[in-house]
Amino acid sequence: MNAFTLWEHRMEPAPKQGMSRRSFLDTLLGIGAVGWLGTVLYPVVEYLKTPALSEAEVTSVVAANIKNLKPNTGVVFKFGHDPAILILGSDGKLRAFSGVCTHLECTVQYRPDLQKIWCACHNGMYDLNGRNIAGPPPRPLVEYKVSQKGDDVIVSKV
Amino acid sequence: MPNVLQKAQEWIRERLNIDPVIEFASHKTVPAWKGSFWYYFGGVSLFFFIVQVATGILLLMYYQPGEKTAFESVRFIVTKVKFGWLVRSIHSWAANLFILSIFIHMFSVFFTKAFRRPRELTWYSGFILLALALGFGFSGYLLPWNTLAYFATKVGTTIVAVVPVIGGPIMQFLREGKDVTTATLTRFYGLHVAIFPAIFTAVLALHMLLIQTQGMHEPESWKTIPASQRKSMPFFPNFILRDVLLWLIVLNVLAILAVLFPWELGTKVDPFAPAPGGIKPEWYFLFMYQALKYFPAKMGPVDGEVVGIIFFGIAGLLWFLVPLWDAKTPQGARNRVINYVGIGVVIFMIVLTAVGVR
Amino acid sequence: MTTVRRWIPIAAALAALVAAPFVARAQSDSAAAKPEAPAPAAAAPAPSTSQTAAQPGTRDECMTCHLDQDSPEAIAYKHDIHRERGVTCADCHGGDPHSDDQDAAMNKAKGFIGVPKKQKIPLLCGSCHGAQESGFTSRYKLKNVLADYHGSAHERSLEANPNGAQCISCHGVHGIVSVTDPKSPVHPSRVVDTCAKCHGDARYMRDFNPSLPVDQKEKYLTSIHGQRHAKGDWKVATCVSCHSNHNVQQVKDPRSPVYPTQIPATCARCHANEKYMAGYDIPTTQYRDYKESVHGVALLKKSDLNAPACNSCHGNHGAAPPGVASVIAVCGQCHQSNEELYQKSPHQAVFAGKKLPGCVVCHSNHGVKPTSDAMVAFVKPSPCADCHRNDPSDKAAPAMLRIRGLLDSLTAGQKEAEAILERAENLGMDVSDAQYSLKDVNQARVKARVAIHSFEEKEFEEAARPGIVVAATAHAAGEEAIKEHRFRRQGLVVSTLIVTLAALLLWLKIRQIERRQRGEIV
Repeated sequence: MNAFTLWEHRMEPAPKQGMSRRSFLDTLLGIGAVGWLGTVLYPVVEYLKTPALSEAEVTSVVAANIKNLKPNTGVVFKFGHDPAILILGSDGKLRAFSGVCTHLECTVQYRPDLQKIWCACHNGMYDLNGRNIAGPPPRPLVEYKVSQKGDDVIVSKV
Repeated sequence: MPNVLQKAQEWIRERLNIDPVIEFASHKTVPAWKGSFWYYFGGVSLFFFIVQVATGILLLMYYQPGEKTAFESVRFIVTKVKFGWLVRSIHSWAANLFILSIFIHMFSVFFTKAFRRPRELTWYSGFILLALALGFGFSGYLLPWNTLAYFATKVGTTIVAVVPVIGGPIMQFLREGKDVTTATLTRFYGLHVAIFPAIFTAVLALHMLLIQTQGMHEPESWKTIPASQRKSMPFFPNFILRDVLLWLIVLNVLAILAVLFPWELGTKVDPFAPAPGGIKPEWYFLFMYQALKYFPAKMGPVDGEVVGIIFFGIAGLLWFLVPLWDAKTPQGARNRVINYVGIGVVIFMIVLTAVGVR
Repeated sequence: MTTVRRWIPIAAALAALVAAPFVARAQSDSAAAKPEAPAPAAAAPAPSTSQTAAQPGTRDECMTCHLDQDSPEAIAYKHDIHRERGVTCADCHGGDPHSDDQDAAMNKAKGFIGVPKKQKIPLLCGSCHGAQESGFTSRYKLKNVLADYHGSAHERSLEANPNGAQCISCHGVHGIVSVTDPKSPVHPSRVVDTCAKCHGDARYMRDFNPSLPVDQKEKYLTSIHGQRHAKGDWKVATCVSCHSNHNVQQVKDPRSPVYPTQIPATCARCHANEKYMAGYDIPTTQYRDYKESVHGVALLKKSDLNAPACNSCHGNHGAAPPGVASVIAVCGQCHQSNEELYQKSPHQAVFAGKKLPGCVVCHSNHGVKPTSDAMVAFVKPSPCADCHRNDPSDKAAPAMLRIRGLLDSLTAGQKEAEAILERAENLGMDVSDAQYSLKDVNQARVKARVAIHSFEEKEFEEAARPGIVVAATAHAAGEEAIKEHRFRRQGLVVSTLIVTLAALLLWLKIRQIERRQRGEIV
């Protein structure tokens, strides 16, 4: 709108009367324009700021570095919204399962002494194929696919 | 303040001769009559296009096309990015209002006969802009990669395949394969963010250049009244300021819609899931979709659907070429047929869209 | 005759061999099927409609000869129920019973078959005890036992191996008497031994089901059933009471009456029958209680085969109520963590000292109900109220109050968080992350409910606290979302106001310009 004011000034270079009223309105208009610009720019600037959280939903994730895994150990990692468990068996084989116990949805863990997956809540037990072999779990754990890329162990949903 | 502006003006004038432009603009007028209101819809459409470009660029900052990322990144924008919900909601709402506004603009031009000589090129370019806008809508609809969009795209591209001879290859081209897949997603993405915007901008520039150089179309009724009774207002600043005023109002409406009725995200595509019930295209395709349903399965030796597609093809072509078949009446004679056709088309579209929505 | 003589010892030996291992199962029919009258009803045996059937009084030349030779089979058959009802040797063995000439009587041309093939015996007996009806079957009310036997585990064993179980394995041969007769190998008094002849013989069972235990009889003798049986109580359950008789199925077969989901009803046939149990000084409400219990609902309604049936706590062949001292171990089979914590808890010593049955004190036995926070309280029906008072004299009272407080915070925290998140969701806000985190509250609750068996405040709090924290965080997220929603609306109002104001000013400006253009003002 400033361009229009400008244009008026060019057309009428020296208006003497009504000047104060017009400048008042022009000033208000200027404020309005700034306000409008603010309502548009504020969300845009906020939008462009890097969000605090990185993207969450995943179908595959780097679960661990193979160098940090010892045989006969397991690690629980976050897989999307759910915990999952990665196990390096004493046979050197990598296996990954959903970490959510099928009984009452507690998080399972690896028991090196038993070489089994174990749920602390009710002493549920799964073998290294994810099958529920003891305690209350009614169903096996869902198995995930494990692959390796360099040192990274990648777990993905089948 | 005026001093600063004057200085700026001088600074520009030293480097670029803007006097002819200002001179031209200062003499340009817009007819002031009862139909003047409809003139603004071109400007409103332009405003929506600007909004779409701006919000589209913002969405590009976070959107990632791809099987595993398209839906997730849109959800990320909507839930995690500050004001992401607003940007996406505005983009979706403005897309729909954009097409609505173009339709209104087109029909107002049609009924005021503004497509007549010498404005045929403006009409043609406007029609191309409408087609591109529909292409924007169709391609953009798939990008969030949600179930509804997936199946709507599947149905939409299947209809294309009905067209004899070229339909199959066109569908193959659109889908980038036999089925709607992530390859289709990347293809639509490319069309939506690069190819369509580039063509649209070029055609839009031509469209606006034509309007500016030829001026607003004067109402047909002016041909029969004395020049003294023809009222007009300066394009600059009167008309332009009114334009801006309307833009502000439209912006308000847009913000209210986007905040109070945020666009839903839906559920992620599962290609193996059965199609949900009530798959419908976007409302602006609905009248065609609904009409195709009324064609019988077989019409003589050919499928009713093929006849329907050909019917719409010919109808679209006739609509596009209206300046040609209106050629008898460029000299001011009335052509009621144009009005009847136009009213028929409007009623046809409104009724079938209403039936389709229900 | 010479041929016959040569045959007789072999046949006898074979018959004995065959019969001996199997004399087991017939009387179960009546015992198992009618608990209100478990004393075996007389099964009606019967001879066939065969042409050769000798009418009583007609001379049966087979018996004449074979009795002359003191054949043990013939001697035994003299008192066989079949002979009493007119079934002759020839009805099973073929030949001509009217001829006293050995060559004529035992002529293969006349259908003489000698000793029937073992795998053919069921069909042979089934010619009367089968589907075919005749005057004979209706006179003696013979049931279609063959149909029951078809498809049974024993029939499969016979098909696989001639030594498998068939009719005479249990009922004997030649000297067959009614099942109501205590001399019958399938009379309740003898049926356990009859079954055990095979099922207690590891060498024999190896040919059929090598992994099947062979100690059922030994276990049975230790059970209450077995002990009473030994004292001559024939009303108690024997093998056939639970496993059925002719139609015995493997335990893993869902048709078997001892398949896990069938067990409670099978036991209830006797134990829920007040009349039948009248002589025994035990309640008959167990089945009713069990059906409504967490265990009964899980097993019977949700078909969760991991849920315990009667035998899970009482044992099956060795069925007896667990003693007070062993209750904890029995429940601990499944509720292992609870058992571990309980054994370390202060309750353990107190309950043991007072001879209180551990878990059952609070949870009861057959009618175990789902637990709730309300179980920790000083008023009935809380089990704590039996001993504890909310009184300074009760040293446990403050800890109890705090545990109950934590339980309530956990429950209330979860409920409130769920409610506020639902509200936020209904307002169109995405709170799926916070809603997901509520799963951890559930985990904490599960753990806390286990930890309570330590009856130690500290241990309980360690389990419960994380849940309370997560619930609070989720609640905060819900509040944040609602605040954000409010902010959006306020932002909308503000920006709408600003834009409207700008539009208004612009309109004034347009008016001003146009009035000036018309020369109304300069």
